[in-house]
Amino acid sequence: MIDWLISPLLDFGFMRRALVAGLALSLVAPPLGVFLTLRGMSLVGDAMAHAVLPGVAVGFLLAGFSLPAMSLGGLAAGLLVAGLAGSVSRLTGHREDSAIASFYLISLAAGVMLISLRGSSVDLTHVLFGSILAVDTTALWLIVGVSSVTLVVLAAIFRILVVECLDPLFLRGQGIRGGAVHGLFLGLMVLNLTAGFQTLGTLMAVGLMMLPATAARFWSTRLEGLMGLAIAIGMLSSVGGLLLSYHAGLPSGPCIILLAGAIYLLSALFGRYHSVFARWRRRVQPILPPDAHG
Amino acid sequence: MAAILTLESLSLAQGNRLVLEDLSGEFEAGSITALVGPNGAGKSTLVQGIMGVLRPLRGRVLCQVPHARRAWLPQQLALDLSFPMSVEELVMSGCWPTHGSFRRYGPAEYRRGQAVMQRLGLQALEHRPLGELSGGQRQRALLGRTLMQEARLLLLDEPFANVDAATVELLIQTLRDMAAEGVSVIIVLHDHDQLRRLADRVLHLDRGHGHWYTPQSMTWAPSGQPMTATATTQGPTS
Repeated sequence: MIDWLISPLLDFGFMRRALVAGLALSLVAPPLGVFLTLRGMSLVGDAMAHAVLPGVAVGFLLAGFSLPAMSLGGLAAGLLVAGLAGSVSRLTGHREDSAIASFYLISLAAGVMLISLRGSSVDLTHVLFGSILAVDTTALWLIVGVSSVTLVVLAAIFRILVVECLDPLFLRGQGIRGGAVHGLFLGLMVLNLTAGFQTLGTLMAVGLMMLPATAARFWSTRLEGLMGLAIAIGMLSSVGGLLLSYHAGLPSGPCIILLAGAIYLLSALFGRYHSVFARWRRRVQPILPPDAHG
Repeated sequence: MAAILTLESLSLAQGNRLVLEDLSGEFEAGSITALVGPNGAGKSTLVQGIMGVLRPLRGRVLCQVPHARRAWLPQQLALDLSFPMSVEELVMSGCWPTHGSFRRYGPAEYRRGQAVMQRLGLQALEHRPLGELSGGQRQRALLGRTLMQEARLLLLDEPFANVDAATVELLIQTLRDMAAEGVSVIIVLHDHDQLRRLADRVLHLDRGHGHWYTPQSMTWAPSGQPMTATATTQGPTS
């Protein structure tokens, strides 16, 4: 059993790199997800993940299967869509989520079109679903770099994000522009989605962001609890998913995300707060006489 | 006393609609001004203009108080209170002017936070999430943040709505104490009993124009709306 758990991670270079990559991503993506859920933007992360695709495709067309080129392209596409959506919503007065939805669909179609112009379906599968074999040393540096930058920026704007979620007008009164903070936050999200696509694939990178965050909400009502739990769930899913992927010969992205999804479902059923079980238990309580304990 | 806030022929518009026209007046340190008028008269618009969120169409807002010491207590409905934050964390976020986003709160700040919560009767609720508070408890926590902020200009938008009688007493007492310490308070009110007990002066907004009164010089229609009285045409009684 121990052999089953430990030896693949130690014996193979690509597994070690994938493990470090997964842990680095799990340290920063879930906290971003917690803020996304608290800001009522759960699906924005999903939309942005799709938006990254054409940039990755352009990088792929120009430089072949080169991770730096594909990441840079993905980053540019993600930031472009976030920026365009923000400007359109500001210029037209439409809500930002409808603008993001429109732009990500355009972006996704363009991405699939670009990939189909060149390259076989194997390449497309790699981009969409990720591959642990794809994590070479360059990719690892990229992922660890993104995680470090995200961690520092998140620490710097943490209090702003918290106060802004609760009462945007307070910060506006203090001379902090909410738009700039929002933009920076979206930028961090795009950065992490781009970093995640090599192990998880573009479409599932957002899973490591959202699923640990939504699962954690069934276990804690405190912000630090949500963050800590989400990180722990993310790391557990990454390690477990990699092992599953190795032993069963399955693609790593779906393994990691399905594991996180299983944790989410279990949390929704048996979690401490608002879960099905917690609600069921709460429903029987009022039947007891109020002074049942003496 | 010197005026810390002066409105000079101020006109404010929301989009293409002119809401306030040619409003002048002065607000002194330590004064409590009640802002009254029917719904849609421009009370919230004026508050936005004073906070610098809405730019004047014509005229000027001259404020001696830096942005960091201006506090705005919005109506409770404007806040997302499902956010996982405790009473203490909300109160401590009033350290913003000195601590910004990055500096760590020291023991001195925590002691000050404790004193603020004590003053507002919140010490037992310190670690309670905001979502589990009653309307009155939330309003006290929000006022705690402005105390922590050491605000010198405090604007409140209907702070007594959804608040129990005991809390109203506590809030009125706290606001009076703050004014005695030199804070200038501007408060949107509807209840004329509360107005008489709290306000030094009244600014009545009606159809885009402002009229200044003292609480004694106002007469009230049975509907609770102020009726015309001997308005002092120009702001303060200085």
